[in-house]
Amino acid sequence: MTAAALLTAEGLRKSYGATAALDGADFSIAAGEIVAVMGPSGSGKSTLLHCLAGIVPPDAGTVRYRGREVSAMSDAQRSALRRADFGFVFQFGQLVPELTCLENAALPVRLAGASRKEAEGRAREWLRRLEVDDVRHHRPGQVSGGQGQRVAIARALAPSPRVVFADEPTGALDSLNGERVLELLTEAARESRAAVVLVTHEARVAAYSDREVVVRDGRARDLAGAS
Amino acid sequence: MGARFALAGGRQGWIRTVLTAVGVGLGVAVLLLAASVPHVLQQRDARGDARSGGVSEEEVKRSSTSVLMGSAFTTFHGRDIEGHTLQAEGKHPKLPPGVEVLPGPGEMVVSPALGKLLDQDGSRELAHRLDGRVVGTIGDEGLLGPGELAVYLGSDQLRPGENAQRFDRFGVPSDKEPLGPALLLIVVVACVVLVLPVAVFIGTAVRFGSERRDQRLAALRLVGADAAMTHRMVAGESLVGAGLGLLLGGGFFLLGRSLVGHIRVFDLSVFPSDVTPAPLIAALIVVGVPVLAVGVAQSAMRALAVEPLGVLREAVPRPRRLWWRLLPPACGLLLLLPLSGRLADAPLTGRFAVSKTQISAGVVLLLSGVALLLPWLVERLVGRLRGGLPSWQLAVRRLQLSSGSATRAVSGITIAVAGAVALQMLFSAADPAAAGERGEREKPAAEAESHGWRDAQLRGAPTQHQVGTLVDALRRTEGVRDAVGFLEVSLSLKSDPAQMASAAVADCATLRRLARIGSCRDGDVFLPPPQDGDEADEDVVTPKPGTRFTLRESGKGAPEWTVPASAREVRATPRAAAESSAGVLATPGAIDADALELPWLNGWVRMDKGRPEVTERVRSAVFRVDPGFSIADPADPEDEVLSKAVDTYDSVRRGIFAGATAVLLLIGASMIVSMLEQLRERRRQLAVLVAFGTRRATLGASVLWQTAVPVLLGLGLAAVFGWGLGWVLLRIIGEPMAGWTSFVPIAGVGAGVIAVVTLASLPALWRLMRPDGLRTE
Repeated sequence: MTAAALLTAEGLRKSYGATAALDGADFSIAAGEIVAVMGPSGSGKSTLLHCLAGIVPPDAGTVRYRGREVSAMSDAQRSALRRADFGFVFQFGQLVPELTCLENAALPVRLAGASRKEAEGRAREWLRRLEVDDVRHHRPGQVSGGQGQRVAIARALAPSPRVVFADEPTGALDSLNGERVLELLTEAARESRAAVVLVTHEARVAAYSDREVVVRDGRARDLAGAS
Repeated sequence: MGARFALAGGRQGWIRTVLTAVGVGLGVAVLLLAASVPHVLQQRDARGDARSGGVSEEEVKRSSTSVLMGSAFTTFHGRDIEGHTLQAEGKHPKLPPGVEVLPGPGEMVVSPALGKLLDQDGSRELAHRLDGRVVGTIGDEGLLGPGELAVYLGSDQLRPGENAQRFDRFGVPSDKEPLGPALLLIVVVACVVLVLPVAVFIGTAVRFGSERRDQRLAALRLVGADAAMTHRMVAGESLVGAGLGLLLGGGFFLLGRSLVGHIRVFDLSVFPSDVTPAPLIAALIVVGVPVLAVGVAQSAMRALAVEPLGVLREAVPRPRRLWWRLLPPACGLLLLLPLSGRLADAPLTGRFAVSKTQISAGVVLLLSGVALLLPWLVERLVGRLRGGLPSWQLAVRRLQLSSGSATRAVSGITIAVAGAVALQMLFSAADPAAAGERGEREKPAAEAESHGWRDAQLRGAPTQHQVGTLVDALRRTEGVRDAVGFLEVSLSLKSDPAQMASAAVADCATLRRLARIGSCRDGDVFLPPPQDGDEADEDVVTPKPGTRFTLRESGKGAPEWTVPASAREVRATPRAAAESSAGVLATPGAIDADALELPWLNGWVRMDKGRPEVTERVRSAVFRVDPGFSIADPADPEDEVLSKAVDTYDSVRRGIFAGATAVLLLIGASMIVSMLEQLRERRRQLAVLVAFGTRRATLGASVLWQTAVPVLLGLGLAAVFGWGLGWVLLRIIGEPMAGWTSFVPIAGVGAGVIAVVTLASLPALWRLMRPDGLRTE
């Protein structure tokens, strides 16, 4: 665990029925740091991400964000935290099909209470930086997979989050598109000083991170030495 | 293969097939019930005829089989009891249907429903009224419905031609008053209004779960199925859904049929055996529903390309065209407008002189315009909506992308509402006489209520002695403040029998309640002034001293009576002026009313409205003096024809509102299924929205807007079409435009449906908002 930890988790346990997804996992990430969470399918890495982001409460253990215990917060408090401080990128099916790419990217900012004009202004800036401004009026069904992921990254970064959670962000893309999306994600995160929790099972993805954590059998092991 | 997929498509396939079958089944059951209505009415008439002795032109002679039958109709807590008194004249009296033993004096035969009612704790007053010994139960063949309250009372007090009629047979078909044109028009429109939305509902039901089916078809394309094969598979799958729906519908219908005997609506009940669909309509349903199912499923695939790598919907759907959507309503108008004024004469009781087919077709075409124009209207209006909160944006964008599924479900509501608006307008315009009469009757009742008492009028055909007995009995009844009763007889002018007057015959004490008569002795006659309106009526004569009358309406040998020279002009009391139109007040010494045919009872009872059961006690007191006497609720109109019209209008109005509400609920159910299906399809997106902190309220509001926008637009369009159809129908019966606000109640039900659909969707929404949807491994 680093001294300047932004988000930490200790002894996380989470089971789905009889299956233990997490079995005493520890984790920490500092502001602006990019951490790759790696492991085979079914190892519990997505569950770790969900627990860290306050999407699902752990059965045991604690998650602390800037000193506040996330696991002790109410559902409404965790939702507010996710709106204000966290951003998300998933593997697929994350954009609202009825909204245009611009409206999708602006949605979290609007949900946080910003006006439509302000939200779309911020979203447009990110779409431009992620090189998808030209498809802003298209619907998700009308753009390619790579473009869709970039829109999703713009959506994750538009509210200026402190932590971006990316769950297999390149899993549905070809290698060329995947590389480009990762470059843009990590560059954008570094520019905005956002920490990134990057869940992946691809070793090449880890090359974009500052540190790697391997999850196996529900336990997390820091490849830099800490566990 | 499509059929196999419907039955063996795994859990999802089963759910889809079951949803379709249940939806189609509900629709089919409603259609079958609607198709049974003609038979129900026919059987009801037949049952009524079977127990009717008829009104014979020829006098029935006394014989060993003849019976005397009088009226013993009564009411208990607002429920009518069909009562008759019976008296045998010989050893082998004919019996009414369902009666095995003729009750003797002090005995009675009751219907099963009345038997149960008499056994209930709250029926003590009724048991006091009907206190005869029960010697039998009326069988089904003698009742209009299983819930009918009916009684035959044995008697030895019946006098043919006075308080009873003689019959030597039962089962005489009575002359039926045909439904008046306006009412028939209403019934025709009501049938269309209730059946069309059900057809729309069936059309919606066969598309339940179509998105998931389309994905499966794409998978089949990948393994080599061509486009024509996918169409055939869809047809096969739809046929199975519709076929199962027909079977289920038959089951629902039989279930409903078996339960119908336990249901009483508006004091009406129906025997299950009477609920039999008309064979031709049933055959049309059996053939039409599968055809409709296949047709709808095929047409739904028009904007869809099922490709091996997935289902392609037209990214920018072709804008809907307006011109062909206007054709059916325009044709409807062309069919209806030429009928303007054709039913303008006597809308309540005249003949129906236009083609019902033309009217039905016109109404169907005009109303179908609502369903056809709604998708175009929603697409145009929703396409222009911008801005708003995220919940609004999510809903509007969803509607912009696919308004079809939302409007499909709503179109059923709009047809029902448009039809209901038109019907209410017809009621408002065609029912003024009934409404006016109702108002006139309700006014004094309301005034009386405000004074702390209630009045009821006395009716019957008693003797002078019975009047005294009745008034005494009433005055002794707890809660009665006052009772006045007297006989009235009809007087015909000797020189012109068409000119009539009436005379009230009572003792001096009673006459003092009717007018300020001053001194009075038996044999005196008094002349109150003519009432407002009587002077203008050419058939009402104002009696004066010396005016010669006959005491019967017709016939030679009718006793004559001349207004004596000693008759004094007097002023009637306000109460008497309101209750009686008698132009002569006579003591029994002046006119022997008992010697005349058909004198009638008039009078009033004043009751403390605060006393519980006082009305029922008064009814009992009147009934026990003579079951043929009755008291009338002041709100009831006296005119029998008008009374029947008012009753029928009320029944039809309530029936239509109940039917429209049932249809709206049925459509609401289909909207709930569609919404749940849509939410299930969007499970992952919902989970993602939750992941980045979307509030529940935001998504809940989004569902609300998604339901409300098409429904509100639909209700607006329905109001316009309803007014249009109402205007056309009113022109047909020659009435001016009325009832502009008549859409409010049914629109209220529509708004209720929005709320119900939204509320019913919320639990599923909350459940689908769990983060489980994010788990893909």
